[in-house]
Amino acid sequence: MSAVVEVSHLTRRFGETTAVDDVSFSVQKNTIHGLLGRNGAGKTTLMQLLTGQDFATRGEIRIFGEHPVENSGVLKNVCFIKESQRYPDDFKPRHVFTSAPWFFPNWDAALAERLIADFRLPLNRRIKKLSRGQLSAIGVIVGLASRAPLTFFDEPYLGLDAVARQIFYDRLLEDFGEHPRTVILSTHLIDEVSNLLEHVLVIDEGKLLIDQDAETLRGSATTVVGTRQGVDSFVVGREVLHREGIGGLASVTVGRLTPQDRARATEMGLELSPVSLQQLVVRLTGSSQTALEQSA
Amino acid sequence: MSTLTQPTIDEARIDRPGGASNILAVVRLHLVNRYSVFAVPWMIMGGIFVVNVAIWWIIFSSISSEADRADARDGLEFSGALFYIFVYMLVLGIQAVAFTFPFALGFSVTRRDFWLGSALTFIGLSAVYSAGLTVLAAIEVATDGWGLGGSMFATFYFGGADASWIERFGLYFAAYLFFYFVGAAIATIYQRWRNNGMLVLFGTLALLLVAGIALASFTSSWPSVWAWFGSNGPSGVIAWSLVPTAIAAITGYFILRRATPKN
Repeated sequence: MSAVVEVSHLTRRFGETTAVDDVSFSVQKNTIHGLLGRNGAGKTTLMQLLTGQDFATRGEIRIFGEHPVENSGVLKNVCFIKESQRYPDDFKPRHVFTSAPWFFPNWDAALAERLIADFRLPLNRRIKKLSRGQLSAIGVIVGLASRAPLTFFDEPYLGLDAVARQIFYDRLLEDFGEHPRTVILSTHLIDEVSNLLEHVLVIDEGKLLIDQDAETLRGSATTVVGTRQGVDSFVVGREVLHREGIGGLASVTVGRLTPQDRARATEMGLELSPVSLQQLVVRLTGSSQTALEQSA
Repeated sequence: MSTLTQPTIDEARIDRPGGASNILAVVRLHLVNRYSVFAVPWMIMGGIFVVNVAIWWIIFSSISSEADRADARDGLEFSGALFYIFVYMLVLGIQAVAFTFPFALGFSVTRRDFWLGSALTFIGLSAVYSAGLTVLAAIEVATDGWGLGGSMFATFYFGGADASWIERFGLYFAAYLFFYFVGAAIATIYQRWRNNGMLVLFGTLALLLVAGIALASFTSSWPSVWAWFGSNGPSGVIAWSLVPTAIAAITGYFILRRATPKN
């Protein structure tokens, strides 16, 4: 395994605000990473920094071992699809797909055509007149068909319906299987992509909260449900991430449980349910609750 | 900072095409929508031409004396009809940076390759359009003003009816370049500093203008200013425009080097 992206102590300030705050991580080759966080958490800025579109205030970025800024050798191997991508005023989708192969050496025209049909994208309508979902479809198609060794998707499917999103997930996995590459995907629809992700980065207020294997992360928290008494006695001495209750019932989210813990909980008549990635991120970034940072 | 490891990636998967192919790709990107690059300008020109022909026809059918006709012909030599086509090029220059630049960056183009490719496109398009105008000017002169005594291409500003085709071509070419590069350079200021950049730019230009007027007035040097314009003539002024064009081309590059497209 080797690192395609290496970031160390990366900081980006805009005047008073720190959009990216002393972030360090690396991304291994041919994995699908999720970059999760709330609006304004710094996801887009981070991706703009990684793709040489923005400039770091401090810190180091290496993409394929080199600085990305103004480095055409590196950038040729990078594709960055962002939700807010602007297109020339007079462009139609067909202009985008005609010109894409000039910029992406691995462009697969057959795949692009198949995706255009899948998404039912009209090729000859002015881009300005497309719906939000159709606009997103253009980005998704470019991102998949470019087959760039390092592909960034920043909120790629705003306005895409459930069917179209499923097509995106299916095609991504399918094509990823045949043509392995490194994908970094930022999204709000965490549960939808949770099975796709091999590694998860959670960013909040510019800081990296989680840099964790997705499998490990999924088991890192469990919700214990039962009578208030039973639950209370079970969670004594454990780190409690979240607690809610109605009447005599309680539901408490705790950190990682050992098999012995699980057996004991079952004996006590308590119900255990895994915490989804989405809930985990919500718990983590929704309040001042940062206990999970240590336990995860 | 030394936690970074040496590059160990599989180099075989990293494509390293030369810079020239990237620059050519940008040129092709600018030209991919042939309709707006080639058809629309000539359509605008055609529209202006039709209107002008109508005006010439009205003028010359309403006056009968030979002296008045000669007068009208002299006046028509100052036609500014072509100005519109140059304004359209200014808009194309602005759009190249305002829209195509964020798009090209999304296609993983470096700012350097974008600017060089854009400059090459501007030069190429200026040459093509100038050649077209030169041909039209030659036809205009040969047909004695499209058979009506009118004047739209071989005007006073571009050397008049007696200019050689090379002179005309050079003047058209310089004028096109000026509008392309100045438009693009203004747009780079917007890309880099947004509204504040625009305010500072136009504020500075206004100040410079006022300062220039004040300077000329207080030093009583208006006569020599007019003398300069007089001795250079419109053609000379257009030739001198190559200086601001070059400044725009160079500053635009350095401004864009640190610009980030915003949403």
